[in-house]
Amino acid sequence: MFGPIQKCEEHSSLRSTKFAPCQNKPERDRASHNRRIGSGKRRAISIISAAYMITAPVAAQKRAIAYTEFDLDNGLHVILHEDNSTPIVAVSVMYHVGSKNESADRRGFAHFFEHLLFEGSKNIGRGEFSKLVENAGGVLNANTSGDRTYYYEVLPSNQLELGLWLESERMLHAKVDEKGIVTQREVVKEERKQRYENQPYGSILIEVLDRAYTMHPYKWPTIGFMEDLNSATEEDYKAFYERFYIPNNAVVVVAGDIVPERAKELVKKYFQDIPRGADIERPTIVEAPLEREIRDVIYDRIQLPAVVQAYRIPAVGSQEFYAVDMLNRLLSNGNSSRLNKALKDEQEKALNVGAFSLPFEDPGLAILYAIANAGVNANDLEHAMDAELKRVQQDGVSEMELAKLKVQVEAETLSENSRVAGVAGHLATAYTLFGNAEHINKELEHYLKLTPADLQQAAVKYFAADRRVVLHYLPLDQKNK
Amino acid sequence: MNSKYSLFQCSTTAGLLLAGVLYAISPMYAQVDRTLPPPPGPAPTVHLGEHSSFTLENGMRVIVVENHKLPMVSVQVRFDIPPFVQGEKAGYVDMISELLMSGTATLTKAEIDEVVDRNGASVSASNDGVYASTLKKNLEPIMTLVEEVVQSPLFPDEEFAKAINRHRSAIQQRQDDPEGIAESVGKAAVFGADHAYGEMTTLKTLGNIDVGTVRSFHARYFRPESGYLAFVGDIDEKEARTLAEKHFGKWMPEGKPVDSSVAGEFVPGMGGVLYLREPKMPAVYRQVVVVDRPGAPQSIIRVSYPFNLKPKDIRALDAQVLNTILGGGVFNARLMQNLREDKGYTYGAYSSMESDRFNGSFTASASVRTEVTAQAVTEILAEMERLREEPVPQADLDLAKRYMAGSFARSLEDPRTVARFALNTYLNGLSQDHYATYLQRLEKVTVDDIQRAAKAFLLPENAIVFVVGDLEKIRRTMIPLSMEPFIPLLELDVEGQVKEDHLVDAGDTTAQQVIDRYLDAIGGKKAIGKISSMERRMTGKMGKANVVVTEQFGKNNKYRKEIIADDRILQQVVCNGTRAVDVQSNIPEELEGDRLHELILWSHPVPEALEVSAPIERFMDGRTTIGEKSVYKITTNVGEIDVTTDYFDVNTGLKVRRIVMQLNLGQFYVVTTDYSDYKEVDGVLFPHTIDEDGGITGVIQLKVGSIKTGVSFNDHQFDPDPAVHTE
Repeated sequence: MFGPIQKCEEHSSLRSTKFAPCQNKPERDRASHNRRIGSGKRRAISIISAAYMITAPVAAQKRAIAYTEFDLDNGLHVILHEDNSTPIVAVSVMYHVGSKNESADRRGFAHFFEHLLFEGSKNIGRGEFSKLVENAGGVLNANTSGDRTYYYEVLPSNQLELGLWLESERMLHAKVDEKGIVTQREVVKEERKQRYENQPYGSILIEVLDRAYTMHPYKWPTIGFMEDLNSATEEDYKAFYERFYIPNNAVVVVAGDIVPERAKELVKKYFQDIPRGADIERPTIVEAPLEREIRDVIYDRIQLPAVVQAYRIPAVGSQEFYAVDMLNRLLSNGNSSRLNKALKDEQEKALNVGAFSLPFEDPGLAILYAIANAGVNANDLEHAMDAELKRVQQDGVSEMELAKLKVQVEAETLSENSRVAGVAGHLATAYTLFGNAEHINKELEHYLKLTPADLQQAAVKYFAADRRVVLHYLPLDQKNK
Repeated sequence: MNSKYSLFQCSTTAGLLLAGVLYAISPMYAQVDRTLPPPPGPAPTVHLGEHSSFTLENGMRVIVVENHKLPMVSVQVRFDIPPFVQGEKAGYVDMISELLMSGTATLTKAEIDEVVDRNGASVSASNDGVYASTLKKNLEPIMTLVEEVVQSPLFPDEEFAKAINRHRSAIQQRQDDPEGIAESVGKAAVFGADHAYGEMTTLKTLGNIDVGTVRSFHARYFRPESGYLAFVGDIDEKEARTLAEKHFGKWMPEGKPVDSSVAGEFVPGMGGVLYLREPKMPAVYRQVVVVDRPGAPQSIIRVSYPFNLKPKDIRALDAQVLNTILGGGVFNARLMQNLREDKGYTYGAYSSMESDRFNGSFTASASVRTEVTAQAVTEILAEMERLREEPVPQADLDLAKRYMAGSFARSLEDPRTVARFALNTYLNGLSQDHYATYLQRLEKVTVDDIQRAAKAFLLPENAIVFVVGDLEKIRRTMIPLSMEPFIPLLELDVEGQVKEDHLVDAGDTTAQQVIDRYLDAIGGKKAIGKISSMERRMTGKMGKANVVVTEQFGKNNKYRKEIIADDRILQQVVCNGTRAVDVQSNIPEELEGDRLHELILWSHPVPEALEVSAPIERFMDGRTTIGEKSVYKITTNVGEIDVTTDYFDVNTGLKVRRIVMQLNLGQFYVVTTDYSDYKEVDGVLFPHTIDEDGGITGVIQLKVGSIKTGVSFNDHQFDPDPAVHTE
């Protein structure tokens, strides 16, 4: 929704840290859209890159996240996590609706709708929502992905009730006026320009999705297309709200300095009277596997060519997904990872490389990319990437290299849950996309039980050269040559 | 530092309330009242974590923050290095972060990477130190690594060569990225390219860097007595002391400590190093500075200026609260509410008020759609002005203060915050209780304090209005926002240099052919020849004044021009074909030499229709672009100094711009005039929109009201002498 200026910790360089780009913590949903502008300092690459992470190996599974959960009669699921170390509380709601629930002529509606749901409610006037939170010393934001929409506030712990009231108002009777719709449509247009159009390589995700899918709604980006948003009607808003913003399609998570019994009473107080909605029909489209290589050239306002490869992968939660995700880490997590070492250090062909998974509820994508060093052409760069893939496929991975990856995942898991806002988000995702809050404590096991054979098999099965999308990003001035 | 403070309230009892009590005193409601927000419970207490600190024998300061929530430890090594200008080798300091982890006495780069990843650690180098985060049980190998990369990096030649290549690519990437341009060129525009915070690494300076300079920098500035070593996490003071002694206690580099209070020093291998002494201050006049990105969908705006605001300045907190109200992170900040929530210009508008012990700065920023660039800047400037002129409502101040108190509390969730506070305290010379008293000091900030801070630190009339965007689409609306009389709009290239036309060979096309094509395009010589006399009246704006410009063209280069601003005659130029007088502020000046030649040359409705002869010469410079338009550039030398450059559209043949460089009363002027909106009058196309900037009269934007041809003039209208007595 809105974008807080990232407060970088004063940390490095001789220069004033004023606009030093922060190293973000990795986002679970890399394809998600914050309604807020990130930091305004995002690079194109950071949109698609597996960010560096603060890591430390640890037996994270021994440090289970404790929580309690219950359902209200209207179908609302509630998860509570107590951590009294800082007097703050995260209040969040995840709705199981994202851009894959949109119809093909309303692309971007879920995200646009997320913007609109900050406009107010029956009891909250336009602009008051954020004012109430900030006056209480809190922050608020929301984001949307292909699969779900997430709203949250982080408040001083004595303002828990305020947070619950606000979220219940949003669920019960949100209200949007014409000024809000017109303004937010303009805001989303500018968001789209800022993130995708006025950024070198900014269109990568849009171009990849469009080619990697033929029928599934993942074909379009969550940000959508402006012509669709322009043609949305009053009826669309009403229908979308009534269909998806219902307690039986949501999970409320409260994490932080709480007394769980008291929090439970307050959740009940504000949410139990919200009427249950009709059961939701979810998209059942099963996209057939890619049967050939789709290859294209995109001309962009850039000097350095880039190569992007996309492979269709299993849905999140399946064991094969973890194997593919681990492969991505093998390729690009840390300076000793294969693409980093080979393409950047040894061959000096790439300035940046990355490999990451789009962790989608329906089968998603693994995306590999490399940006060429000056003077290196896209074909050479692609050959170097392919050689690394072939190496995994033919020679596999040693136990030692896999052990390194496992330590990295353990460390990440630990630090991702070091703040209550992070825990709230992970619990919500675990419940919504994995069907079980306990996934927050089980996910690591899926990674730890992977064998070298699992990785090699996944590499052969999923990173197949004859079933993928390959894009070459080339400088605009090469277009007419 | 072991302090407890209530959040938002200074209630003394709040600190004693326990969670259980909090629960017991809140009754449950049977009936839910949804109409009003529920009131808060009793204020919880914020616990500012403790740190301990000690100094090693070699002078290195160690900071320890104990927090056993996670079995992790972070280690930060930070050196206090005064900023200085790197000059023609700009960029060598950045090589430190590139190369620290590229090889040590015992480890190659590949081995270093392997140690980091195998331990699941994260280690990153910056130009003034190293940051590492690791599992407690792997702390020892990571400390050994940190010790080596800090104290004995090799800066291997081959890794240096690779780093230079990488940097070369990175510079190209930055030049393609509007945000990267805004970041780098924006700083150059605000601080100046000769300032430690403003100088840019370019492909050229990169080529001047040698690895010896990098090694010398490391040897001189990575020194224990100016170093800090901070441990945070699952570690106690005793363990930290043992580790610090073991890995950093024996470190004894050569040479004297660095003294940043001196003007500079000679460093072997680096040469003379001048430290930043006097902070750069704001400009006298607001100026528009643009990096052109033809076709860009958005303009990235930065309204920015440097100033002197040190973290230890007692007004620094007032300035932060002021900034929060204006645009510092809260959604209810004025810039966000105005530019986004009211106008829908942008996804987000922000401001930052950077206190810095060497040179602070203010920046307001937003990415907006191209069409509203000037409106957005106008709103940003107006919000700054409003804070200077009007006291803030108490409610606005309260929101900002509560938000900041909340942010403070949230920041303490991360134990590294306490170490950062300690480090800031040492580096910036803050009082020992600076952070301990933060919430109380915040609570005391008043409406008056905010207005005082606004008058001191919000300087809309002295800002650099920096934009990365489509220059030709925004030029006309941006120029009036400038207050700089001589160069209202400065165009910089992606390397921060004053933009020069990028020329390509025009082939066989000559200057005369371009002129002839232009004359054909506007109607042909025959039609032009029929216009024996003409009067052109134009109206428009000059700054805030309404202006009327009347030009009369008689036969044989007789010419008269009169500029009236808000009913006062500002300037008259009168020429009888051989003599001319320029009257400004009732002071007549007889024009002579080049300036007379020049005036006579242009004293025609279509001056290009006149033949030129020595000493006037016309050259084809080549083809270039204005925005996305392809144009021919034709230069006319009028004399020894004055030069006129005309730009003709390659496709339409029309003249689109004229730049006149002239020396007038000892002052050098560059006047840019844009012509557009060509319309036909008596068979000849004349531009009906004329925008001029940079002349002695400043920015003038004119629309042609009327063009009359075949007007009969009385000869005395063109007599230079009576003009002197007018008024």
